[in-house]
Order: sequence, then C-alpha cells, then structure tokens
Amino acid sequence: MRKLYLLLVILFLVFAGCKNDISHKGVHAEKSVNIIKYAKGLEIYKYDGFTVVKVTRPWPDATKGFTYIMQQKGAVIPDSLKESIIIPIPLKSVVVTSTTHIPSLEMLGVENTLAGFPGTDYISSVKTRKRIEAGNVKEAGANESLNTEVLLDLAPDAIVAFSINNTNKTLNSLEQSGLKVIYNGDWTEQSPLGKAEWIKFFGALYGKGKEADRLFSKVERDYNEALNLVKDLKSKPTVMAGALYQDQWYMPQGGSWGALFLKDAGADYLWAKSDGTGSISLSFETVLEKAQNSDIWIGPSQYTSLSEMKEANPHYAQFKSYKNKQVYSYSTKKGETGGLLYFEVAPNRPDLVLKDLISIMHPELLPGYQLNFFEKLK
Amino acid sequence: MILGIALLVLFLVNISLGAVRIPLNDVLQSILGGEASKTSWHYIIVNYRLPKAITAVLAGMGLSVGGLLMQTLFRNPLAGPDVLGLNSGASLGVAFVILASGLLPAVLAEVFLSPYGIVLASVAGSFMVLLAVLAVAQRLRDTMTILIIGLMFTSFTGAIVGVLTYFSTAEQLQKYTFWAMGSLGNLPWHVVMLLAIIVLIGLTMSVITLKPLDALLLGERYARSMGINFKRTRFIIILATSLLTGCITAFAGPIAFVGLVVPHIAKLLFKTSSHYVLFWATILIGAVLMLLCDIFTQLPGSSFVLPINAITSIIGAPIVVALLLSKRKGIFN
Amino acid sequence: MKKGTTILQANNISIGYNNKKENNAIASNINLSLKPGTLIALIGANGIGKSTLLRTLTGIQKPLSGTVVLNHKEVMDYTPADLAQHLSIVLTESLPPSNLTVYELVALGRQPYTNWVGRLSPEDHLKIDRALQLTQIQHLSGKRHFEISDGQLQKVLIARALAQDTPLIILDEPTTHLDLQHKVNVLRLLKKLASEEGKCILYSTHDLELALQLSDELIVMTPDSVFQNTPDKCIEYKVFDGFFNDEGITFDSSKGTFIIK
Repeated sequence: MRKLYLLLVILFLVFAGCKNDISHKGVHAEKSVNIIKYAKGLEIYKYDGFTVVKVTRPWPDATKGFTYIMQQKGAVIPDSLKESIIIPIPLKSVVVTSTTHIPSLEMLGVENTLAGFPGTDYISSVKTRKRIEAGNVKEAGANESLNTEVLLDLAPDAIVAFSINNTNKTLNSLEQSGLKVIYNGDWTEQSPLGKAEWIKFFGALYGKGKEADRLFSKVERDYNEALNLVKDLKSKPTVMAGALYQDQWYMPQGGSWGALFLKDAGADYLWAKSDGTGSISLSFETVLEKAQNSDIWIGPSQYTSLSEMKEANPHYAQFKSYKNKQVYSYSTKKGETGGLLYFEVAPNRPDLVLKDLISIMHPELLPGYQLNFFEKLK
Repeated sequence: MILGIALLVLFLVNISLGAVRIPLNDVLQSILGGEASKTSWHYIIVNYRLPKAITAVLAGMGLSVGGLLMQTLFRNPLAGPDVLGLNSGASLGVAFVILASGLLPAVLAEVFLSPYGIVLASVAGSFMVLLAVLAVAQRLRDTMTILIIGLMFTSFTGAIVGVLTYFSTAEQLQKYTFWAMGSLGNLPWHVVMLLAIIVLIGLTMSVITLKPLDALLLGERYARSMGINFKRTRFIIILATSLLTGCITAFAGPIAFVGLVVPHIAKLLFKTSSHYVLFWATILIGAVLMLLCDIFTQLPGSSFVLPINAITSIIGAPIVVALLLSKRKGIFN
Repeated sequence: MKKGTTILQANNISIGYNNKKENNAIASNINLSLKPGTLIALIGANGIGKSTLLRTLTGIQKPLSGTVVLNHKEVMDYTPADLAQHLSIVLTESLPPSNLTVYELVALGRQPYTNWVGRLSPEDHLKIDRALQLTQIQHLSGKRHFEISDGQLQKVLIARALAQDTPLIILDEPTTHLDLQHKVNVLRLLKKLASEEGKCILYSTHDLELALQLSDELIVMTPDSVFQNTPDKCIEYKVFDGFFNDEGITFDSSKGTFIIK
C-alpha cells in the first residue's frame, strides 16, 4: 500500500514539474534551508505560513522517514506537498509518550496542552505533576500499548509517539481513526546538542519556531562556553560507567550519548574507543581488569548509596573509585512519584549535564558549583 | 438455548464496558445505526469495541474447536490447538521481526517492516512449522510421534527466541513481550472480515471431520475398520486446526489456554461423546469465555488494560488443575 | 448368504514383510477358505505369524504373492468405506480415554451406514438394540465403558462388531485376558452368532484345548505349513505333533490335550 502511495506521489510530482512554471508563482515552494545544525535525524524547513518537518530517522535502521507539514491557519500548501501528512498548528491538545518531551513543552510554555501521557507516574516535573493531580493529564496506558479508547476519547490534535518499527498496532489503528500521529526520533540522537535541538521540533508544532531557536541557541552557547573551560587540560581523570545486571556489566559504547558527554567533559572514558551507540555487555573480570584503578565512576545504574552497592555485590568494593568514594549517580534525584530527573530533563539541557560532569572531573574549574543531576554517593 | 442467550448478553456487556465510560443508551444507539451523544463515543463503539468483540468471538470459536480436534486426534486431554508447535513457529517469525530485524536479509526486511509485517511474519512462521508437521505426518503412521515432534518444535523455537531476547534492547523486548501476551483490539474492520472468512473456512473443514473423530474415540485401528480414511482425516484435521490457530495468532497474538479448556467444559456440561454436539457446544462456550476474559482485561473506568493472555491463564490454569485432580476415571483410564 | 458360499479366500498366498533388500516370507503356500455360519480358530505358537496372517487377510498388509479375495473382489481393491460393510474387527487393545457409554460405543458400529454427520436412523437404532440383545448386555447400556469389567467390555466390543452388520467378523485373541468361565462364555456366544446369525467368525487364540472343543474349524500354523480343517481332522492328521519346539510337550490325541513330561 505504501509503495503504491509513493508511486502516486512521484507521478504527481513529475506531472507538476512538467507544467509551466508561470501558473505556479506564489504557490510554488521556494527551496528553503534546513535550520538544523546538530541533530542527524531531523530537518526543518521554514516557509511562509507553514513549516516542513522531516523526521529522517524515526528508529534506528529506519529505511525511510516521515515528512510532516505544520500548517498555520489559512496558509496555502503547495500541491507538491499535499501528499505529506499535514498537521494544523498550533496544537491545542497533545499526547506525548516520553518524559523527555515534557521539558520541551514546559520550556516553550505550552505544558497546558498536555492532555494525556502513558505512565504519568514517571513524570518528575512539579508543574506537570500538579496538572496530573488535578486530573488534567489523563493516564493513557503504556508506551507499547497505548489505551486506544482513552486516546479516541481524548481526541488530541496530535500524538507525539515513538516506536521501534513500523508495526505498532495501536498507532496504526489511531491513525486510521483520523488522529494525527507524529513519530519523534529524538531518542535515536546521540550527540548532546543534537538531542537538545529537538526542541525546535516542538517549536514547529506550536508555531513557536523563533522561541525554540532562541532557547536552543542559549543552551548551545552555554554548552560551548563550558567546552571552552576544558580546552587546555593538563590531565584527564580515568572514568568507568555502568554496573552489573544479572551477570552482565552494561558499559556504554563510545558513540553513545553518555559517552560523548564524558568526552566533551574532558574525561578519559576507558571505553571511549568502542564502536556503537548502545551498551556492550562485559563480564565482571573484564571490567575489573581494565577499570580497577579508574579515578571516577559515573552512573552505576539504579544504586543510590555505596552500602546498597556493596550489598548487591561485594566485588564493587574492589574498584579504586569505590574505595575513594568517587562514585556519582543520577539515580538519587527523583520526582515525587519516582521518575528520574536525569532521564526527563537531561536531554534538553546538555549544558547542565556538561557542567555537572566538568565539575565532577575538574572541580577546580567550577568552584562553588551545585550538581543538577548527579550526586556523589555516600 | 441458554448458551446462545449468554453469548448475546455477554456480547452486549463486552461492548458496553471499556476504559471510557459510555452509557448503555449511547451504546445501543451506536450499534443500531443511530448517533451517540459524542462522536468519539460512536467511533469507539463502532470502530474499536465492536471489532474487538467480534475478534474475541472468532478467536474463542476457532481456538476451542482446534482444541477439540487436537484432543481427540492425539488422545490427550491436555492437548491444545497449539500442540503442533504452530504458535511457536509464529513466535519465532515475529521474534525475528521485532528482536532481530538486523539479522534479516535486506529483501525480507522490507516486507516484514511494513505495517502488516508482524502478521506476515507470524503466518510465515506458522506455515513453516505446518509444512514440517505435514511432511512428518505423511511419513509416519504413528500419531503420537507427531505430537512429540510438535512439542520438540516448541522447545526448539522457544530456545531460539530466548537467545534473541538476550541480545535485544529493552524497547524491543517490551514490544515482543506485549505481542506474546495477545491483543484482541486495534484490528481494522477489513481485517476482522478477513479473519471471519478464514475462521469460517476452518470451522467448515472441521465439521467434515466430526464423524471420523467419533470413530477415533476407539483408536486408529477400530476407526480404520469402520471405513475411516485415517491419513486423509488426519490431514484435514491438522490443516483445519492450523488454519484456525494460524490466522488467530497472526492477528491477535498467541492466546493461551482457551483452546485447551473449552472442550473439557463442553464435555462436562453436555456429557456426550458425540463430536457433532460437542462442536456446537464448544463454539458457543468458546465465544462466551473469550468475551468474558476480554471484559476482565479492561477494569472499567481505568486506563489499565491487562493483556488477554494473563486473564485466560488466570482463569484457565485453575480449571486445568481441577481437571487433573478430578477423580473421574474417564481422564485417566 | 447361502451356506457353502466362500466369503474369504486366500489363494496360495505367502505372507511376510517386504524389506527393501529381500522378501522375508514368514509362511507360504497358504490356501484358506472361510464360509458363513462357521466359527474358525486360528492357532499357532508365539511368533509364528498369526498377526501377520490376520493383517494380510484383512487387507492391512499386502501378501508377498497370491491373492486374498473377499466376496469375489480382492481385499486390496476395496475402499475403506466399502470394506467396513463386509468386515469388522474386535481387538484386545485398551481403549483411549473417553466418556463413551456402552450404547454410544455399540452405536459407533453403525458408522459405515450413517450420513456424513453420523446421525442414527431408526433402522440404525434397531440394529444396535439387536446387537445388545444378542450379546445380552442391554442392562449395561447406560454405563461408561470404563465402569464395566473386562469380560463385559469384551461383549460390548463384540456387540459393536455385530452392529456393524458384516458377514465376516475377525477377533484378535478375544479370550486371552479372561478367566475360564468368561473364556467359555465368549466362545459360546461366538458359536451362537456363527450358527444362528450365519456370520463367518475367525478368531486367533492360544487356548488350543478350548478351540478344539468349541470351534467348527481350525487354522493351524506350524513351522512347516498352514493347515485348515475340522478339529477332528486336525488331530487325525497329527498336525499338533511337533507344534511346540519343545520335546517335553506332546499332544495326546485321545485326550485332545497337551501333556507335559
């Protein structure tokens, strides 16, 4: 079915191109420039009255992406683009599916449009929690199985969803009912600034492109300022990450979001050279051998105290970083109902994460700094 | 008959209950062609709950008849419609699509990553196992061996799926797990129609086997002596069951226990060995049970939906235990 | 069926298993002629090939050579449905678990005659009742097949074969698991069915001495030959000498029994 659709679109475009240019003045889309600088899976083109948003990598290994036309009221869409999915904006009600979307809404001041969320307990933000408690944000199920009935009843202007492939039964059924499903690919983004740049995606949904640009530019500036701090470093501390789960130690790979931060923060991450954007599973011995004397331990999974770690596995005490109490975790800062602040806010505020890490790696560069996401485990 | 009435009542109840509270009046208006107070309500009733209820009825009927056929063919009261290993084949197919799409050759990947990818993968997996089972059945005279081979397929594919899950991400795992827990909803009308046609074909094929199944109650040798073409009957039984199980699993995921339990309930209630009577009893009881289970998946008013397999197992497992503990010599002769 | 018309005939057959490499004939040059109204016992030591012979006679196995003719047509040429109207069987294997009542079990014998759904016509019910009557088990009609004794079950299975209304009934060791009284009961019943109902009944057995006393004919399988005749003639032709491969077991013609030294 999709292939037939694509064929029709191509034919249409060919025909449209063949026609005389004169009759299309004004309605013909002049080629605009992609305003996205860092994000690899997103492209945004601004036009008069509408914005073209291309999500080129909705999931890892995606062979094709999605094109959305954010149409302002009364704007005319050129015929060549009429086949894409058109979203009337600004959105008055929205359902998002990841806690990382919440800060974007709040930063743009549109958090009041949030009508539903799957798993509201995960949300840490105080502002939104108030709305949840007041009953303004409906519980919409779980991400892999959104509750169809709730969503049909809410009938939001759009659903910002993510999926690992094209075969989500519920999303397909919602699309068929006429609801707008927009696939968000920010979770496949690895570079810190790339991930944060997705605020422009949300900006486009609300006609707040300028505001989103401004917010991102500030984050970009602060980030680069922090980068400057670690430009000429004499020495870098060695860093290890992760922890055991069952019998496997999951160590972030060199190309992953977390590892890229460590690189930018001027740390010598011991697995920086590993390829990939996920985690590798290693045995305990391998990790001990390579990282026993590492200076700092970042992000030991869900542990919130040194004693908890020792109880879970006494061998953790073998690491120098553990003995020197240089273990920093992001799992201690939680919202009222248990959602981790780090997972929710960090993607949008890489500047804060970077500063946190710099303060951990090179405390002398940021005297008096209070950590936002991490905490030194006691 | 009481069962028929129970079916109608439960159907109505099933459509009336759901995450969103919709008053009975609106429900009736919607299905009788009128308008409900809210357009979203009308849509929910007609395009979500109604297809879901029909899917439940079809699944209940198809799986239960499959179970009846398998239990008599293999002379095993614990056989279910998936005893041939078809569901494991389907699971393996789906596992490859969800957990290991990276391992598929590019050509196949294109096909399976389309919106109907999971359905196709499930059918492909079931079909492979079916071919293997039929090939084996043609060569073997002994029916018990087919049963054991079916069980071996199940173990084998289960092991491979286990290995695949070990190397998947959390999201992939969750998606696969959710598929494996079954889901009756979210099927568009044209799919429900397709399912109905296939189930009808499967049920019609089953009806042809009812008389030979009666003869099979005495064992293969007696059945043959009474004129039953055993090989052909067995072939049709396997084919009918595969059709029923395969299509239901493809669209609704592997649903447990229903096919196993319903024939026993039918036998208990109707106290007859005639497969003709049992066929009708099984169909009705199967539909009723499935509608009941579906009602329980949705705690009315809350947005939490329990997966259908959890409910069928919670209800089915105690029944199986009760059967095992039953003192009736009939099962243990 | 006129008495004297052969129902089942074996023409110079040899029986055995057709191995891919060679033919393994268990016995050859077998000529048999089974007539209606006769009770025939198939006797032979263990392993001599009685089961193989029965399978060949009933068309389950092909003879290595020769033909088996049932009512003027080769047994192998019958369709299963057709054959079911000419030949019924009674076995000693235990039945699969089920809830069949005695009546339902006997009713299954009517399968070759009912429609595609298996509905029983009034005529079918008559035949079933007759079968129950002949075997004198009407009082057991409502009981489940696992609620009755082995001896009664044997009668039920015979009634089922009767309901199938075939001219030829073949029983595989019907007396093996029964005590003497029940053995005699069954054989008396079979003899009555043969003489009064005109059935041709062939049964295999190890109870040689009973067979000698109660059967019309014997088919005796020895290592050298397969011999069909009346019990008296069998004794006369000294068929039982050397029956067992044991010199300590000899046959006493006058007593009609085996003597152990």
